[in-house]
Amino acid sequence: MRTVAGKRVLSIWLPRLPLDRWRRKGDGRLAGAFAIIDEVNNSWRVTHPSDEAIRAGVRMGLTLPDARAICPDLLTEPADAAREDALLRALWRWADVLSPRVALDAPDGLLLDIAGCAHLFGGEEALAVDAIDRLEAVSVAARTGIADSKGAARALARFSSAPVAIAEPGRTGAALAPLPVGALGVQDETASALARAGLKTIGQLYEVKTSELARRFGLSLTGALAAALGQTADPVTPASADPIYAARMTLPDPVGLLSDIEAVLQRLVSSVCGRLEQDRKGARAFTLTVRCVDTGDHHLSAGFARPCFDAKAVLQQFAHPLSKLRIEFGADGFRLAASHVEPVRHRQADIDDRVRENAGVAQLLTTLGNRIGFDHVRAFAARDSHQPDREFDLVEAVDRRSALAWAPAPRKRPLRLFRPPEPLHLLDGGRPPRRFQWRGAIYALSSAKGPERLTPEWWRTEDLRTRDYWTVDTAEGARFWLLTYPGQDEQSWFVAGRFP
Amino acid sequence: MRVKIALTLYFSKEQNKNTMTAPSSPARLPQGAFRTISTARHDALGLGPGLSLARGRVHEALGNAADMFAVLIASRMSGPIFWIGLQREIETLNPAALQDFLDPARITLIAGVSRAEILWAAEQALRTPAAIIAEIGQGPDLRESRRLQIAAEESGAVGIMLINGRAQTSAAETRWECRQAGENQWAWICMKDKRGGGGAWRVSWEGEDDANGGRQTGAIHLAAATAA
Repeated sequence: MRTVAGKRVLSIWLPRLPLDRWRRKGDGRLAGAFAIIDEVNNSWRVTHPSDEAIRAGVRMGLTLPDARAICPDLLTEPADAAREDALLRALWRWADVLSPRVALDAPDGLLLDIAGCAHLFGGEEALAVDAIDRLEAVSVAARTGIADSKGAARALARFSSAPVAIAEPGRTGAALAPLPVGALGVQDETASALARAGLKTIGQLYEVKTSELARRFGLSLTGALAAALGQTADPVTPASADPIYAARMTLPDPVGLLSDIEAVLQRLVSSVCGRLEQDRKGARAFTLTVRCVDTGDHHLSAGFARPCFDAKAVLQQFAHPLSKLRIEFGADGFRLAASHVEPVRHRQADIDDRVRENAGVAQLLTTLGNRIGFDHVRAFAARDSHQPDREFDLVEAVDRRSALAWAPAPRKRPLRLFRPPEPLHLLDGGRPPRRFQWRGAIYALSSAKGPERLTPEWWRTEDLRTRDYWTVDTAEGARFWLLTYPGQDEQSWFVAGRFP
Repeated sequence: MRVKIALTLYFSKEQNKNTMTAPSSPARLPQGAFRTISTARHDALGLGPGLSLARGRVHEALGNAADMFAVLIASRMSGPIFWIGLQREIETLNPAALQDFLDPARITLIAGVSRAEILWAAEQALRTPAAIIAEIGQGPDLRESRRLQIAAEESGAVGIMLINGRAQTSAAETRWECRQAGENQWAWICMKDKRGGGGAWRVSWEGEDDANGGRQTGAIHLAAATAA
């Protein structure tokens, strides 16, 4: 017997996924004439009719008025792409019981690389049958195809008459030969052009030279054919599902005592954090949803300055928001979800003092941010501008980059910059003023340097005035940065800053 | 609650009388009401010959150059700096000027919306070994400053409360009045020191250009003014 070398691909097609979504809910309408409809080209058309509806003459693609005329008892439900996608994704996550390499084949299929997996189930056919049985157990209808290539497996699953269609290794061409050309997944125009030329099955394409096919029907057809026959590489690219780090708990009776809720939270946290730690991941944010029996869902959140999997720290951050939560008639549902999950690098904590210090700072930023808001805990970031009030930015400290380069200032700048500049009260004029009052105190000029004239950044729209800055020493010892706008009839003066 | 009031009274009486006699009826105070503060836990922060500032303590600074006092203290330390205050106060800080004295990347600005929030944030921050600078308007009272003091003593942080209103009787280690006296020159007067050594200093800063032409590293020059 020939050994199985190379790739084997299992394609699972879920032809009735939207209907199955309703079947899983136990909807009674499915027993009768029922159809899923969707808006296509501005008209409602039947996309998935039920068995009873098909028997009554409703076919896929009929417009809704036509379908109603044919079958007056027809009940319909609009398609819900988001929920169907969610169901498909749930099945995608489940499918790793069959193979570790599972790819989504939206909108209604899965592709599994089963090379080296089939013997665990007792052969390829047993694997496919097992998959169908398991899906049937959760009320999802499926058809399968197994072949050497992705395209061939898809074609077999969708266009073969048997629910399990297998192309033996190396016999892909023969298995595909009786299938219609549409099975290659080419565009509708190409398929109808092929039909006009009398090419109905894939087998008929083998007779024609590839260059002829490419010339008449385009490279997409020959490309699809070569990929299906395994002549060009078309690997299954599995995107393994991101694990969801969340836990929920539903209680038979609502609880209202803070200590009870904390006990629930403790269990949820230890479950979520345990899994995070196992996977060497940490989360930057946790959301706790508390379902109160009378007021509905309340969402509490806690952020972290660095990825965290420490159950104690999470509990600590939730203590304050939980104590603020008003629960009158109790809560019976809880869900804790971790988001912004990132890998955690474990560090040796005890040797390097700096690591411990950084951990302390991160913990502090977390505590501060959760209480007074992460937008209130900020750090300086340099910016490229010659305008003194635009030389820097304030960024949230938790996502500060590790190193910031500060260009040395070309001139002495004030320690405090008042934005906007504060007008001063002139007591004795001059340029700069000889005596002025600011914030209740009177200052007399002793010496002044200036002006330093700064032109505005012309590409910005706001405040396009030229500014003159004066560095002013006062007899009182204080040093100011005075601002005036030149070219104005009446000179008004402002305190723009205070020097160290 | 009653215990707390009794303690406050006791301390304020002590402060006013400036005597070191034992309380008249110590039996009425509960056991463990006093925390022993070990004094030699952290090394003092040397600022120059004859002037040092205790770590693990809270200090108060007032006057028009109080913020520069804090900046110069922080420049003598390494590690993070937390600058806490009202939004409108702390966002006037200019890193372009600060970089002459210290690396602005060390600074984290924390904006509180009320005095209570600023004090809370300061207390939290004092539990990490860092420089904590809090602009709190009126000086902290005994209770507030004792809380800050207790938070700081464990970690060895240096807390500097910038006061621009009235200073109150407090548990702060020292209190400084800081005035500007020209370009990069300041006058520091120690108005209160729990260890008893008052004094006045003229402080000047001399920036030195790095060999690479980069950041300026400076030295503080101290000159004792007439002793207070």
